[in-house]
Amino acid sequence: MSTPKQSFMKKYALKATSEYAQANFTLVTSAALTFIFLIAGIDFSQMAVKPVLFSVFIAYAFFTLIQAFITYKVKRDLNQEGEIQRSTRAWGYVQLLSILTGNIFTASFAISLIKKRKTPQYIFAQFMVMAQVFVIAVSALNLFKPYVADTFLTGMFALIAILVFQLIVLFLIVKEKQQPNTPKWKLTVGMMLLLISFTGNLFALALGLFMLLEVFSSNQSTIDKWYNIWEKIAGNMTSMLGMFFIVFIFSISVCSYWTFDYDMAIENNYAAILQSPSLAYPLGTDNFGRDLFSRIIFGARISLIVGVLSTLIPFVIGGILGAISGYYGKRTDNILMRLLDILYAIPGILLAIVIIAAFGSNTVTLIIALSVGSIPTYARTMRANVLMLSNMEYVISARALGSSNLSIIFKQIVPNSMAPMIVKATLTIGGAVIATSSLSYLGLGIEPHIPEWGNILKVGSAYLESHSYLAIYPGLAIIGLVLSFNFLGDGLRDALDPKLD
Amino acid sequence: METARNLKSEHSSNFPAIFMRLSNTFWKMNQYPLLKWVMLIIGLPVYVISFFIYLFKRKNDTHKQLRQDLAAELAQADVKGQLIDKHIEQLKRKHSFFGQNVSEQQTNQEAEKLAEAEFQKLLEEKVAEMMMLNSEERLSFASTMQSLIRQPLFVALTLIPGVLLYLLILLYFNPYIKYIFERLISSLFVIIGVAFFVFTILYISPFDPAANILGVTATKEQIAAFNQIYGLDQPYWAQLWQAITGIFTFDLGSSFAGNEDVIDSIARKIPITLILTFIALLLAVVVAIPIGIISATKSNSFLDYTLMFIALIGLSIPNFWQGLIFILTFSIELKWLPATFTPGNWLSIIMPAVVLGTGLMASIARMTRSSTLEVINEDYIITARAKGLSERHILWRHAFGNALIPIITVIGLMFGGMLGGAAVTEKVFNISGIGSYIVDKQFIPDIPSIMGGVVYIAITISIVNLLIDIMYAFIDPRIRSKMKQY
Repeated sequence: MSTPKQSFMKKYALKATSEYAQANFTLVTSAALTFIFLIAGIDFSQMAVKPVLFSVFIAYAFFTLIQAFITYKVKRDLNQEGEIQRSTRAWGYVQLLSILTGNIFTASFAISLIKKRKTPQYIFAQFMVMAQVFVIAVSALNLFKPYVADTFLTGMFALIAILVFQLIVLFLIVKEKQQPNTPKWKLTVGMMLLLISFTGNLFALALGLFMLLEVFSSNQSTIDKWYNIWEKIAGNMTSMLGMFFIVFIFSISVCSYWTFDYDMAIENNYAAILQSPSLAYPLGTDNFGRDLFSRIIFGARISLIVGVLSTLIPFVIGGILGAISGYYGKRTDNILMRLLDILYAIPGILLAIVIIAAFGSNTVTLIIALSVGSIPTYARTMRANVLMLSNMEYVISARALGSSNLSIIFKQIVPNSMAPMIVKATLTIGGAVIATSSLSYLGLGIEPHIPEWGNILKVGSAYLESHSYLAIYPGLAIIGLVLSFNFLGDGLRDALDPKLD
Repeated sequence: METARNLKSEHSSNFPAIFMRLSNTFWKMNQYPLLKWVMLIIGLPVYVISFFIYLFKRKNDTHKQLRQDLAAELAQADVKGQLIDKHIEQLKRKHSFFGQNVSEQQTNQEAEKLAEAEFQKLLEEKVAEMMMLNSEERLSFASTMQSLIRQPLFVALTLIPGVLLYLLILLYFNPYIKYIFERLISSLFVIIGVAFFVFTILYISPFDPAANILGVTATKEQIAAFNQIYGLDQPYWAQLWQAITGIFTFDLGSSFAGNEDVIDSIARKIPITLILTFIALLLAVVVAIPIGIISATKSNSFLDYTLMFIALIGLSIPNFWQGLIFILTFSIELKWLPATFTPGNWLSIIMPAVVLGTGLMASIARMTRSSTLEVINEDYIITARAKGLSERHILWRHAFGNALIPIITVIGLMFGGMLGGAAVTEKVFNISGIGSYIVDKQFIPDIPSIMGGVVYIAITISIVNLLIDIMYAFIDPRIRSKMKQY
């Protein structure tokens, strides 16, 4: 006895259920990772297995098989019953164990499988905990080193204490029932979350802010608006994974102040030159015996700072110029846009080279050089938005009510044209990260003594034939970060695009 | 108003067609403030002659008389008094609605001002109406000139001093030529701007090329002699003028280090960069467009996701790292391709071209997918499907052409980035192109070389974008119609 709606739901269950697509995606990525570890785990020249990498391969293969089984069960459930059964969802708990192997794909899939009704808070809390676990795990690799930083133990204990708190928050969120009144614990917990986000865990920051919004906002529509945006981002698995990696990198570069030893990354150690990866040096050492792993961790800091700043500066300057140009139109628009055309005619990287040629290669010049080149694109985006918005009814009504030009620009137009700008910014941070490392590779970027991904690669490129890992690992780090920003940008575009509403 | 004028003058035409057109185009051009000034400057003698004729004609102008008569007529009927009353009434209502407290006197003043403006407007309308009835033209300087240009005799007499003006007007006959001409002018402006910008930045640099080249042991006299040879002791404007004229006359002097002729070096290095870029471009287009279309036709399938994931990786991969990995794999491990570029060996350009083209390939594939998806959901595609056309026919005949327009935009936009990005790729594969030339010269900084390199790259990019824009003008009917209505 099924109603027409139920039978319709059943018919299209396979296409309508996000878990099935996610299960497939996870299966493929997990299988690809397993395959990579298989290749890496076998020494083809001697036909022997490398014990560490091969055991990693076995662990990955195990969880990939579980993933395949879950995917099959999900498909069968959807085809037969139209919805995923509890027994299938229970397998999520088994798959959750895969976080121990560091497989973020299967772990995040397990999270979304376990719970049927997924609130964005739940997903964010889970990712918050995962990011914390990853940060702790990566920091813990320092235990194998000959010595650790003075603040290592305090730092680690603090991180673990925070993890415990986060687990409690997760528990509270899971147990939370739909109710009209906001529970009282949200105020305290929200504050605490804001406090712990100083470790760089931006998931905690977002979660805390939303809780405080729920507590303090009397306007339900504001809460709903934010909730909807959140829901869309949280529902997009690839953009969540992108955000996870960004938060992880950010968090580890903040925590590295306490848990990593900067000397490891910059001090020469001639006793350990060009060593292959081992537990003490997880990614090997370079030609001065510096630990590549620590160098990459410290390099993340520079890449993030330069990437974010050289996006933020043109965002503000270009945004203001674009808004003025679009709002006032006519001659202002013409003059501003023609001047920006000049900047636009020079390819970004050449413009950066010219500016660096004039003012020397250091971090500040680099940030300015990269910023100047991207002002025109932001100005154009903003101008197009403003042109579109300034003919909207609410702007005309604001004008009729006697608002001043500046107040119309900043109160009506700018807030409403932020969405495309934010998407653009997210997508261009990746470009800025690439440009930074490219210029460093050419010897024009960050000062050579600072561990930055481009600088590390420059050293590595000299040892391409004998010690290729020196060039491969920093490159993977760059790709990982840029790819994450691109994933997040695509996800944000889908979430913020009014056309898709 | 304008069309009425054109129509009328065409009907009463007893002048040769070309002069009619000349005069009409002049009228149109006169509507744009910038063009008006340009015409005034280049055709000053013609304007002076016309001005005297205008002064002469104004004496027996009917317009003034008519205006006075009408004003008297309106004043007699107390139109102004009525208008003032109307405005006082309106203002009072407005004030009471907004709860404002405004004194009587102020209200009256405001009302009078508004009434005066409205009265003038009314008067103008009446005058224009009367003139239309009598089929007369209001005498203004512009209309005088317009009617003068209509006369072959006048044009013939002023041909020598006004040749520039007439040529300009001739250029504006055809919307396409006008468009291309205006694009050329704006490109010229951009190129001069680029030269100015780059030169100024290098000029205010705190570095001293003389000290960098001659070394720390150089004496003051040596540095002064160096500066004198390369003109570095001249004032800013003189150097800037020399640099900008040098760009257009292909004479940038010799480079600071090595003393080679800058233009010579650039001319030797630009071809290989261009060849590399075009091969990369071609490769990207040939590979990416089919991928994008496959992705779009099988959207949301496993194949689509995989292809788009690879495209996203292609977008996220740094050029130089990809180059290194390629060298490691194909040159060191597999020994298929040479690791560095040697002129004449075509195998050695494969890797650099692939590396340089990857970013563009990824962008084109993504753009092709999204624009094809957008197009195949349009109504006219549904119509075509309803007609029973085959999917293949719909895709290639109806969808592809329209989907191509944003793709060409992306190619145009990315081309500049590719020429810039060539610097990195050239360094990795040891190609001595213009990009690596600029990088090598920047340490000094060698002002003429860097400026020359950057400006000529900007010129190349401008030319490519110009060609793309012109292509658009011929392909895209929307732009075509927009162009014609100016």
